Amino acid sequence: MSDPSPRQVTEADVERLGSDVGLTIAPESRAAVAQHLTALLAAARLIDEFPIPDAEPAPHFEP
Amino acid sequence: MIDAATSALDIAARVRGGKIRARDVVAGALERIAQRDAALNAFTSVLRERALSDAETLDRRLAAGQDPGPLAGVPFAAKNLFDIAGLSTLAGSKINADNPPAVRDATAVARLRAAGAVLIGALNMDEYAYGFSTENTHYGPTRNPHDPSRMAGGSSGGSASAVAGGLVPLGLGTDTNGSIRVPAALCGTFGLKPTFGRVSRSGVVPLAWSFDHVGPFARHVADLAAAFDAIAGPDPLDPVCSTRPAVRCTEQLGRGVQGLRIALLGGHFTRLAADEVLAAVGRVASALNATREVTLPEVHRARAAAQVITACEAGAYHLDRLRSRARDFDPMTRDRLLAATLVPAAAYVSAQRFRAWFRTRAAEIFRDTNVVLAPTVPWTAPTIGAPWTTRIGATEVLTRGHLGAFTQPLSFIGLPVLSVPIVAPGALPVGVQLIAAPFNEAALFRVAAWLEAEGVVRSPVA
Repeated sequence: MSDPSPRQVTEADVERLGSDVGLTIAPESRAAVAQHLTALLAAARLIDEFPIPDAEPAPHFEP
Repeated sequence: MIDAATSALDIAARVRGGKIRARDVVAGALERIAQRDAALNAFTSVLRERALSDAETLDRRLAAGQDPGPLAGVPFAAKNLFDIAGLSTLAGSKINADNPPAVRDATAVARLRAAGAVLIGALNMDEYAYGFSTENTHYGPTRNPHDPSRMAGGSSGGSASAVAGGLVPLGLGTDTNGSIRVPAALCGTFGLKPTFGRVSRSGVVPLAWSFDHVGPFARHVADLAAAFDAIAGPDPLDPVCSTRPAVRCTEQLGRGVQGLRIALLGGHFTRLAADEVLAAVGRVASALNATREVTLPEVHRARAAAQVITACEAGAYHLDRLRSRARDFDPMTRDRLLAATLVPAAAYVSAQRFRAWFRTRAAEIFRDTNVVLAPTVPWTAPTIGAPWTTRIGATEVLTRGHLGAFTQPLSFIGLPVLSVPIVAPGALPVGVQLIAAPFNEAALFRVAAWLEAEGVVRSPVA
């Protein structure tokens, strides 16, 4: 999320990122996955742009 | 006589009073399913023999002087991500059909059965609950009883279609981003997404643990309350299920709306919606004399955070299956789930931090307001197979994704929401969300019951 400018995810990005998590993403899926990932990163950017005051993540764990 | 329009509580009263046998009620529901479900495709399994056997057992218990429960003999069905003993829990997928049968019922299913309701079958949904349309490639699209060329909504589309079409008076569904409220609105039924943690999710296939909810569908407010009362309450099998005792809502129905402070949710919730939807909210507000407007800040970011958290949790949950069986996923969900596995961890943590901040902002509204109103869906049911994008004014939005525009920011922070149906003659249904502070379902039921009694909202059999 440190990249300051919006970016279109490429099919090559999808192939590389997928292999990082053990996924073999079929060539016919890569364009659609790139499109969906671009949208998710845009959503992430919307959150990133907002200065959240000292807030801890909502979930809590009771041992 | 029991027919498609008979309410769940009418059925239970007649069964409990010995006026009709549970077996005959169940046989009637099975007959309606046989006649109509080929057109609606709401059911993926019909448990004919088991349902008849359960009903006969219930009749014998009644004859022996035992109390079979407040929902005695009421047929119901559950979205097929609920465990049902003896069935593989499909969760709308082809992959899960290879799983062994569930060994016990999900808690919510078991509680409805313990209250006397009779499980009739399992219902269609978007694969792994990751959608708003129930255009399931494996099992076919579920159709809207008001117009079978149109979507039932999703992901609990089978639940809404079966209840709206009069096949069963009660349905169970789940809601992570709108999956009870969206299909309830598009099909014209009542649908309740309770407070996060109010109803156990034990035995339910998850989509996103942070805000998966279980809730009921019905065509009458009293039926919805009875179902909610049966399933709500602590359950040690669900680690996020609240330990606070449930407040029974059936007793709230006759209290009216006197003394409740009701407001309209403005800003985001008034934009990018069809005129008839905003008019429906206006009619409900007018009936309730609600003129004050309240706003939540940064709702567009709340929606974005809901999308990120849902994606990350769903991607993590399905990662093994995506590695080994990606081709067996529904094309409607596969590429979105693949993308979900690639989101950076920092985005997830930031979204969770934003969620905590947004929850506090919502709590500020409820300091001096009991119930707020907002549209459930931005428009009426789209046609099955509709184009991916739709233009509304000058803005192009995702046809399916935008269905959750008004529901996502609310389930994201676990608020209880009851969607009430507006069904005008000759028009497709829309819905209005009644929203309250956490664990204040009672206020929602008071408002919904009053609106139903006044004829402002209703859910006729389609």
